[in-house]
Amino acid sequence: MDPHDLTAAYALDALEPEEAEAYERHLSRCEECREQLAELTETSAALAYGSAAPPPPPRLRTSILDAAAAERSNVVPLRQRRWVSRGLAVAAAAVACVAVGLGVALSQSSKPQRAWTVSVGPTGRATLSVSGLSGAPHGKTYEAWIIPAGKDPQPAGLFPGSTSAMRLSGTVPRHAVVAVTVEPAGGSTKPTSTPIFAAKT
Amino acid sequence: MNRQLAHLSDEALVALAARSEQSALAELYDRYGRTAYGLALRILRDQALAEDAVQEAFLGVWRTASRFVPERGRASTWILTLVHRRAVDAVRREQRRRAVSLDRAAEPSVDGVEEDAWLRFQRERVQAALSRLPDAQREALELAYYGGFSQSELAERLGQPLGTIKSRMFGGLSRMRDLLGEPGTETSWTHTT
Repeated sequence: MDPHDLTAAYALDALEPEEAEAYERHLSRCEECREQLAELTETSAALAYGSAAPPPPPRLRTSILDAAAAERSNVVPLRQRRWVSRGLAVAAAAVACVAVGLGVALSQSSKPQRAWTVSVGPTGRATLSVSGLSGAPHGKTYEAWIIPAGKDPQPAGLFPGSTSAMRLSGTVPRHAVVAVTVEPAGGSTKPTSTPIFAAKT
Repeated sequence: MNRQLAHLSDEALVALAARSEQSALAELYDRYGRTAYGLALRILRDQALAEDAVQEAFLGVWRTASRFVPERGRASTWILTLVHRRAVDAVRREQRRRAVSLDRAAEPSVDGVEEDAWLRFQRERVQAALSRLPDAQREALELAYYGGFSQSELAERLGQPLGTIKSRMFGGLSRMRDLLGEPGTETSWTHTT
């Protein structure tokens, strides 16, 4: 079978899995096929517009975005730091920081499955997502904090740990740190324990 | 709905998604979710399966956005290709009854909703190009792309040698490329708002 013949079928997803694998191997060493495939793939994708498209149910959008928030594939490792000297030194933590104001961290504790994501919108509104976090111990709660650069931590909301995402109260200024501590039930006005998560945004 | 990213190109949104910017994924969904869902529904003919396919495809975008190379093709092509592949995988896995004939009446209805003139324009353009293909080429393209049939299944179903099916698919797709690129039908494939 000449793999050159398979370009159109590949572009249409009309190959059996073993044929597709063979074609992909061929593709890695055939510039001509790569170019032709790029063209034919543009055309086959255009066929997607050929069907009448009823609107998807609104829950689909929510479901996709929730699942994306809970994903940890995009996380950047973050070393957990000690809560030093009134909580201000946390700002120096090694952090994930991107231009759009996003901090992502993977906790490196004994529970490597736990992943935190802080998404900060352009207005400073932020959502904290976590996967793999067990519920807070009896009589305790998790508390989120926003720590503007050079300032004291501001309480940003309580959560029991069973929820996967929460919107932080207050806004997150540029270069602020978002942190989470375990606090007595009802929450605290200042953090009283070492943060289990901290990320600069 | 967050439209603050509406001015960005699809490719810029993918780059932001690669940096875990959720609002970029939301914007990509707002641009292509409806087309994606329509495609998945046509292939799978089942709402729940179509939703699953679209969700998996968009999570694929989220997971692999950092590997997207703009020089190799449009972001919209990449997204719709992911959706198509998911839907085809599902229809083959489910061994569902697939369309024997793909007459227009079998398409999902839009109930006269005209909220997106752009989508309607694209649909008419693609359908017009398809209608200009020789019957055998159109049949091969539609059964492969909208039916999810592999070339071997098509050869068996249509009682034709595999080589014939291959050349119909290649001829049909090449002709579609030319028809869609003809002056007068040319349009920007970049979503503009």
